[in-house]
Amino acid sequence: MALGDLEREVMQQLWDAGEPLTVRQVHERLSRRRELAYTTVMTVLDRLAKKGVVTQQKADRAYRYAPAQSREEMTAALMLDALSAAPDGVRDAALAHFVGRLDPSALTAAIEAARKESAAES
Amino acid sequence: MTALLLGALGLTLSLVVPGVLATARWPARAPAAAVVLWQSITLTGILCALGVVLAAPQELVGALGSGTPAGVAALLAALAVAAVIIIRLLASLAGVTHRSRTRRARHRMLVDLLDTAERHGELPDEVPAGLRVLDGPLPFAYCLPGRRPRVVLSGGALRVLDRIQVGAVIAHEQAHLRHRHDLVMESFTAFYRAVPGPLRSRAPLDAVHLLLEMVADDAARRRCGAAPLRSALAVLGDAVSPDGPAEAAGDAGEERRRRLSRLTGDDPRSAPVAAGAVAAAIALLVLPTVILVVPWLDRALSAWPL
Repeated sequence: MALGDLEREVMQQLWDAGEPLTVRQVHERLSRRRELAYTTVMTVLDRLAKKGVVTQQKADRAYRYAPAQSREEMTAALMLDALSAAPDGVRDAALAHFVGRLDPSALTAAIEAARKESAAES
Repeated sequence: MTALLLGALGLTLSLVVPGVLATARWPARAPAAAVVLWQSITLTGILCALGVVLAAPQELVGALGSGTPAGVAALLAALAVAAVIIIRLLASLAGVTHRSRTRRARHRMLVDLLDTAERHGELPDEVPAGLRVLDGPLPFAYCLPGRRPRVVLSGGALRVLDRIQVGAVIAHEQAHLRHRHDLVMESFTAFYRAVPGPLRSRAPLDAVHLLLEMVADDAARRRCGAAPLRSALAVLGDAVSPDGPAEAAGDAGEERRRRLSRLTGDDPRSAPVAAGAVAAAIALLVLPTVILVVPWLDRALSAWPL
């Protein structure tokens, strides 16, 4: 299994848990579906922490891991990054959009409204 | 005389031509060739600037008589200015490239973590390996260029588009990735940032962006037909900016209107227009060289002993 897929599954477990988890807890949850080495889970969590998407806290002599942001917050931030222009107003060459140029403030408002809507749905 | 000619050509190319070309209608009939012409205009402008800097002191020296200290100083200063122009352009290109790579790498990492494509049964049967779905009601699509490219669709886009429309949007984004439109945009962005304020014009950036969208539209049209692409473009645009600020919506709205009108009716592309644009691009690139060489040739011929 590709490392990228594993990272995504580990993030999913942390988001679903709603509380910080130890490596053992993450390992247990993932092992329900298939064989997985404990050290692999440890490596993946370490990588995610280095990337800044997971925070590491020491409690009761064991490291616990939690997502740095909720899934919704991270998605909203990513959308904003995808659709906003560079600070000097020049269209950013980093990403090419299908929808055309958008006003960042209108976009923030749209994302905010969209988040409230999805929060009300769930 | 040479410096004056080059200067006039350079100023025309950077101040007059962009405005004319940006409002012209024919580039919509040959978008790829029009991009080549924009590249040629920009490059020729740079060559003219370098030519002026290098030719002016030489002519000055010619007037003063060679070998004078003032003449030597003028030549050295000219070389220094030319070096500054080149270094400034290269530094700008390096900066823009580095920032885009960094931003894309981070963006790709997050998109991979947040991907929910597995849970979306409404995707077409054949999707590219790099397709990612971001959950969220805001409908949009974009691509992340690079060696490991991604095409990203939002959950909202999948909700408002049918399978065939989604296929057309994916084809459009893949055309951007396949033809490396990001490199073209990066070079124009780098040039824009390197040019000093009063000479700087946004017209090439905006025009080239629209033309690249048209090129991608044409590629998607060849694969999926015009109708699904047109309706997808209309749906996504309406959903995102129904009543945004007039200024922003007007600009993006105009771009969208021009793309939509190209997708209505027959294929607007014309081979003669494209050939004309490419010929103009080549001629333009050769022009500064001709201006530099002709007086020299003239002198050489008149000095010929026969």
